[in-house]
Amino acid sequence: MIAPAGFVASLAGFERITVARLTGLLAHRTPEQAFAIATGACSPPEPFATLFRREPDLASAWQRAGVKRPPDEIWQQCVAAGVHVVMAGDAGYPAALLDDPRRPAALFVRGDLGVLDARRVGIVGTRNATQRGRETAARFGYELAAEGVVVVSGLAKGIDGAAHRGALAVDGAHPVAVVGTGPDRPYPAQHAQLWERVAERGALISEWPPGTGPDAFRFPLRNRILAALVEVLVVVESRERGGSLITAREAAERGVEVFAVPGALQSRAALGTNKLLCDGAAPATETADVLMALGLDRRRAGRSRHDPRSLPSAADRRLIEACRPAPQTLETLSECCGASLVDTAMAVARLEHAGWLRETAGWFEAIHDWADLA
Amino acid sequence: MFASVPSAVLFCAEGHLIHVEVQVAAGLPGFSLVGLPDMSIRESRDRARAAVTSSGYPWPKHKITVNLAPSGDRKAGSGLDLAIAIGVLAASDVIAPEAIEGIAFIGELGLDGSLRPVVGVVPMVGAIGERDVVVPIASATEAHVVALGRVRLVANLVELVEALRREAPWPDHDVADRPAPILRTFPDLADVQGQPIARHALEIAAAGGHHTLFIGPPGSGKTMLATRLPGLLPPLERSKALEVTMLHSAAGIALPPGGLVSEPPFRAPHHTSSQVSLVGGGSQVIRPGEVSIAHCGVLFLDELAEFAPSVLDGLRQPLELRSARVDRVDIRKLLPADFLLVAAMNPCPCGGGAPGACMCGDAVLHRYARRVSGPLLDRFDLRVAVHRPAVDDLLVNEPGESSAVVAARVLVARRLATERQGCLNSALEVRHLDDVARLDTGSTALLRHELEHDRLSGRGYHRIRRVARTIADLRGHLEPGVDEQDVAMALRFRATFARSMPTGRVA
Repeated sequence: MIAPAGFVASLAGFERITVARLTGLLAHRTPEQAFAIATGACSPPEPFATLFRREPDLASAWQRAGVKRPPDEIWQQCVAAGVHVVMAGDAGYPAALLDDPRRPAALFVRGDLGVLDARRVGIVGTRNATQRGRETAARFGYELAAEGVVVVSGLAKGIDGAAHRGALAVDGAHPVAVVGTGPDRPYPAQHAQLWERVAERGALISEWPPGTGPDAFRFPLRNRILAALVEVLVVVESRERGGSLITAREAAERGVEVFAVPGALQSRAALGTNKLLCDGAAPATETADVLMALGLDRRRAGRSRHDPRSLPSAADRRLIEACRPAPQTLETLSECCGASLVDTAMAVARLEHAGWLRETAGWFEAIHDWADLA
Repeated sequence: MFASVPSAVLFCAEGHLIHVEVQVAAGLPGFSLVGLPDMSIRESRDRARAAVTSSGYPWPKHKITVNLAPSGDRKAGSGLDLAIAIGVLAASDVIAPEAIEGIAFIGELGLDGSLRPVVGVVPMVGAIGERDVVVPIASATEAHVVALGRVRLVANLVELVEALRREAPWPDHDVADRPAPILRTFPDLADVQGQPIARHALEIAAAGGHHTLFIGPPGSGKTMLATRLPGLLPPLERSKALEVTMLHSAAGIALPPGGLVSEPPFRAPHHTSSQVSLVGGGSQVIRPGEVSIAHCGVLFLDELAEFAPSVLDGLRQPLELRSARVDRVDIRKLLPADFLLVAAMNPCPCGGGAPGACMCGDAVLHRYARRVSGPLLDRFDLRVAVHRPAVDDLLVNEPGESSAVVAARVLVARRLATERQGCLNSALEVRHLDDVARLDTGSTALLRHELEHDRLSGRGYHRIRRVARTIADLRGHLEPGVDEQDVAMALRFRATFARSMPTGRVA
């Protein structure tokens, strides 16, 4: 006896299976029947008969896929990866997704979906984030999690990862990740540990079965689920045509309030967020702004953490301040402080040593007290 | 009848003295050439014969044997044409054997009897010793550089034979008076607007002989900066200049008007260059590569990441040994290659810029960073981040310091170093570092932090100290230790790549 979920897991990994097709296959049928129809084991009812007629190669492709993805083996994979399958009709299916026009037919989940019963805020942004952006994401993640809010993000490089790290730094927080690969396939690879921690503490959700690799088309689809799951979305940094703008649009279509963190005008990493602000997104400068939107007006939110760094001198503080709005080069730093290059070099070496500045490719960025999480 | 004519061939970058022995004896008319000649020398027979007959002299209708002594070495090149023709004429009594005594002959013959220049006249003439030498007119400057005897310039075979038969005086093809070596013609550092850090890096590179890598977006002036480096180096000493001149002549590069290469050479091979063209080699004739041509000068590799990785890795040994090794089945040669390496590359394929501006994906960045191997990156003492110059610097037309001013400081610093330790700071051995670059407490703390945070390797640690020593020399600091300011400045010349190496720096 093969578990019904095995058929769903097998079907969801078929090529050219779309959300609509999978939903159609599973509607009013058992997964086993759906599998039989898709693989041609029984004559297809409408509308699949028409579909197969119109795309004859689809029928043969699905037939092959059915052989390549035997439901029992796929189910073993799910069990081995600790993934459970939640279908649209199941009791555990997230309530926020039930009424969604493009709700996923099945979710592949590691961890506990029950954590979604709490208040939920999404934090998303570019993968190529600046130091500043990652710090902001970590701060929002930490402070929201400290207020008992579930932080939902995508576990991508940059902003997403920082938000998760920030949330995980709070004891007892339950972060949720919506990912664009199979739940057993950490992407990017360097986030493997972060995945495990999110799956342990909260939930890791994917629309795709275990074994699904990273494909460009899956990430925008992932974004819609993320947008549908949250009550408020915060975009920390986004490029002019960034994927997080897709999430923001999906969120706006679903009536989810979108916040954007304002960025420097000359920063490419903030072009998208600044555009969002022009388009009517609410500015988020501190956690209290977001909490207010959730109806959780906690004025003490944003309590600062202990900063162990030694306080810089007044002159050094001017250097740090100069680096805050945008990264600076040694030349511009020496110019704006009126010090010689050698003196500036000594000062930045000292500040790097003390943990106030960080150098990448000759650019200096100020480090905030959230850098260890960013 | 027998004649022996001295000449020379080029082997790697050296000249080898060759005696062309010719015997014309009774027997069936024929021509045999022995002594391990290569294809171009075998063809000499036809060129020599055509040149002799078209000049109006008889070609002996006897058995001609030509031996190239020493006969055990392989020989290549068309420079023996003239010696073979003269040998045949002397052995057949057209020229009196006494007339060619003490004269060597170098040159390629045209079918009409004209003399053509060959590559490598400087080392060849050097190998001939105190003999007089006959060379083609176009090789005049090269021959004059090293000739110990008289240099006879000849346009064609008729002229030469008439002079040897004393029917006419030696032709007087005095090429225009050898001009005095002209003043330096390198581009001037004063053209570079702004860029104080990069200018300082150039000064340090010149003063300490530190290999330098410029990392910066397109249009930040990396190439412009690199071309200014040879102008900061002192002119070559006579012995080095001769070495370089030999190499240039052997590589077939036009020598400067004075003949002697007295300025540090600047070579900028294109990124499509092959490993052999860079390091030297070849199948028949071993030619010096760009590393040897840049001997005592600057080798500039623009767009470093566009070079084939295998080609770049071929540079590692020359960088370490300061000479290029060419090993073939029957040849093992060490060509001098003591050059200063300057390279330029973009931080990432899109050109980069401030953090957050890069549009490249992770995979792309990784692939790009992998093109330059860690061991090669490690050879650069200075890794300088170059930024696009500020608008004010571009518009304000205020020239920076000129090359001459900087070169004077460089010369003083180089003297300081060589007088102290007998070599430039980049060549300082680790065991001497404690004597000349002792660290004070402040600088120890700085370096400890870098080491602890995995941003500095053991090798990088020594490199920092060498660079700090050069910085101290440049500001005239004579104490055996280096100060915090020197180390802090040296640390600024170890730029990291943007995000391509997320966990710390290489070296």
